Amino acid sequence: MAPGLLAALLVLPAPAAPQPGGAFRLAFGTDPPTLDPAQASDTTSSTVIRQIFDALLELDERLEVRGALAERWAVSADQRVYTFHLRAGVRFQNGRELGATDVKYSFERAARGKRPWVFEKIAGARDFIRGRSPGIAGIRTAGERTVEITLDRPFAPFLYLMAYDAASVVPREEVARRGATFASHPVGTGAFRLAEWRHDDELVLERFPEHFRGAPLLNRIVFRIIPAEITRFNEYRTGNLDVTDIPTGYCRRVQRDPRTGHDVAIWPTLGTSAVRFNVERPPFDDRRIRLAIAHAVDPRVAVRGLLEDCVSPPRGILPPAMPGFNERVRALAFDPALARQLLASAGFPGGLGLPRVAYYYNTTELNQRIAELIQAELGEIGIRLELRRLDWAAHIMLVDDGTAGFFRQGWIADYPDPENFLTVLFHSRNVGAAGNTSRYRNAAVDRLLDEADAMPAGVARFRRYGQAEQLILDDAVWVSLYHYSSRALIKPYVRGLERSPLSSAPEFLAPLRKVWLAR
Amino acid sequence: MRVVRPVAQRLLALGPVLFGITLLVFALNAVALGDPARAALGQRADPEVLRQLRHEYALDRPLVVQYATWIGRLLRGDLGRSYRQQRPVTEVVADRLPATVRLALAATLVSVVVGVGAGATAAARPGSGLDHALMGAAVLGISTPVFWLGMMLALVFAVGLDWLPVSGYGGGDLAHLVLPALTLGALHTGTVARMTRGSLLDVVRLDYIQTARAKGLAEGTVLGKHALRNALIPIVTVIGIGLADLLVGAPLTETVFAWPGLGRMLVAAVGERDLPVVMGAVLVFAVVYVVGNLLVDLAYLVIDPRTRAAD
Repeated sequence: MAPGLLAALLVLPAPAAPQPGGAFRLAFGTDPPTLDPAQASDTTSSTVIRQIFDALLELDERLEVRGALAERWAVSADQRVYTFHLRAGVRFQNGRELGATDVKYSFERAARGKRPWVFEKIAGARDFIRGRSPGIAGIRTAGERTVEITLDRPFAPFLYLMAYDAASVVPREEVARRGATFASHPVGTGAFRLAEWRHDDELVLERFPEHFRGAPLLNRIVFRIIPAEITRFNEYRTGNLDVTDIPTGYCRRVQRDPRTGHDVAIWPTLGTSAVRFNVERPPFDDRRIRLAIAHAVDPRVAVRGLLEDCVSPPRGILPPAMPGFNERVRALAFDPALARQLLASAGFPGGLGLPRVAYYYNTTELNQRIAELIQAELGEIGIRLELRRLDWAAHIMLVDDGTAGFFRQGWIADYPDPENFLTVLFHSRNVGAAGNTSRYRNAAVDRLLDEADAMPAGVARFRRYGQAEQLILDDAVWVSLYHYSSRALIKPYVRGLERSPLSSAPEFLAPLRKVWLAR
Repeated sequence: MRVVRPVAQRLLALGPVLFGITLLVFALNAVALGDPARAALGQRADPEVLRQLRHEYALDRPLVVQYATWIGRLLRGDLGRSYRQQRPVTEVVADRLPATVRLALAATLVSVVVGVGAGATAAARPGSGLDHALMGAAVLGISTPVFWLGMMLALVFAVGLDWLPVSGYGGGDLAHLVLPALTLGALHTGTVARMTRGSLLDVVRLDYIQTARAKGLAEGTVLGKHALRNALIPIVTVIGIGLADLLVGAPLTETVFAWPGLGRMLVAAVGERDLPVVMGAVLVFAVVYVVGNLLVDLAYLVIDPRTRAAD
């Protein structure tokens, strides 16, 4: 053994045993609007909800399904019936023991909440959501601790939905007692319970010692609410936060800085940033115009110049971290000469005769700079771009109702399956606010997606999604700019913080019960 | 008696002023792009949920009915519920009020102590190097962008020197108040300093000051006791309006220092189209403004002997 290596081995500390205690300090940009799993529709709320509540299942760092409230489960041969067996002795934070009826109650309650799509694959769910039946027929309890869920048709990612925070289990009596204020006085079965919430300032969770997995290691989790990313960064530098996100434009600097270089953690997440077209709106109803724009935009410039190579350049629509990501899917290449040809063949040689094109985006510094970049690139082929910068509420309205013809929109998957990208964003049944803001209607794509959605998990299913993805890319209804990554600073003494592709700093959706502090 | 009538007049005027303001805010919101129900649903919105939510928020009713309902509730002391937080607006506003009041008072204290001190010092030696330096600093204070100043103060005193906390309310700890108060106070400090200097210089030219000097009183006594009192009226005006300004919130200062105040909350509520919170907050602000101006007027009566003598 080389002497240098030996020396290195000697000074390496032995793998430490997890130490209990301490407070884990992190920060959000906004106050969570709600802590009620049925009412949440944002990742800030979900991050806290995941610590206070449990679902039947959960996903580990490698996105594998693990038992949570359910200790085991079985799927019928026809892939339609899921039977979940609950753990014995699970207690809510009010002391009451969990039973199968709590699961049925919670699912029916949440199905009429803000994210009904989590439950709509269950037989009878749609009738229930629209008020046409008193309960969801497809959810049946058998005995104290068995829940049987029947789907309309097979749906391979269903287990992921059962690990989603909208499917958290809540105690009926607390909801009844608290009414709407359950959102600020949540009671779940989770490893942590709410200790204190000073709005816009600080939200504190404390450990729940009777958690079914045993008490978590941390005593407390402190979420500070710090709106400015530079302030979060300063708090991290002065040692007041244990983790934070890297501010926009600081990615290279923190990597080079010896004080922060070792703390940098960048990992791919399940999201893609893109520009989209409303294919019903002229001139974008002409495929050649869309193709011309797609070939004129070089995403690598933004990735290198604006995003400091801290995200990955686009490969297709699905991010590379997504199960089912297909290496063979090809995005349209940067090719200004071809772009000019296409523009000419559409009747606008050199952009002549083409009216100004409006580009819509929501207000952030990065979006602004990307918009200016696209404006310059399209100017090169003769397309004059008019920038329409709006706040989020106005932007999403014009995108949903079809006013915006060319606009910025990204997507971050709720669960790791191509269905949650391609079907949501491009199936004709989801035109509008449900996800298909391109208003894209392609029978061949619909058919491929319908088939894949109902197929059993496996290579053949992923191949269908790959075919659909290629058709969508070739139609240039969506032009990927880059795939998201989580850019975090993590103090070296923080252990057990999962870098799941579903977790993006500063919102760590992973279970924080595994975190401990080696100090 | 002389005090009662103007106060009563002002209080009577409060009703129409508040009505006008709420109507204006409601109308502005109605013409602004964006749908509160859509904004509450994240990126993926189920059309059925959207419809139900619009019904729940009463957005599917005519605007006149929506506004009338809001006014009707207000008269019963109910500001409605926040769309986003599902809590009563009174609670949402009350949560942030203590932090806002603390910051406004502290920033006012900074501007009065530093501003009056600098203004009086400059007035004592008009045209001197010190005068120019102080007035230059005042202009700098007025024109420095708040966000930048806050960031610089935090970098130097919190990150660099580690004397003060970077941000946060700190449960009411005084150390947390220093940097936000200095940042927010800077603008008004400059205004108060310039007003104090100008006002003092106007007064010292008057005959009674010459008399005081002729009596052989010390210059400090002349300025501090005789001149300042008369120079106070315009200064009090600036301070009073400044305090109202600061109470109305300081979204940028609150954002840089993660201060849980009303200004930041209002900006967020506008972004989310959380109309009940926006209306509630604006109402509170309007009351603060009108009452603040009233207090300034009352202060004239106390300070200015002429207003009393004229009775």
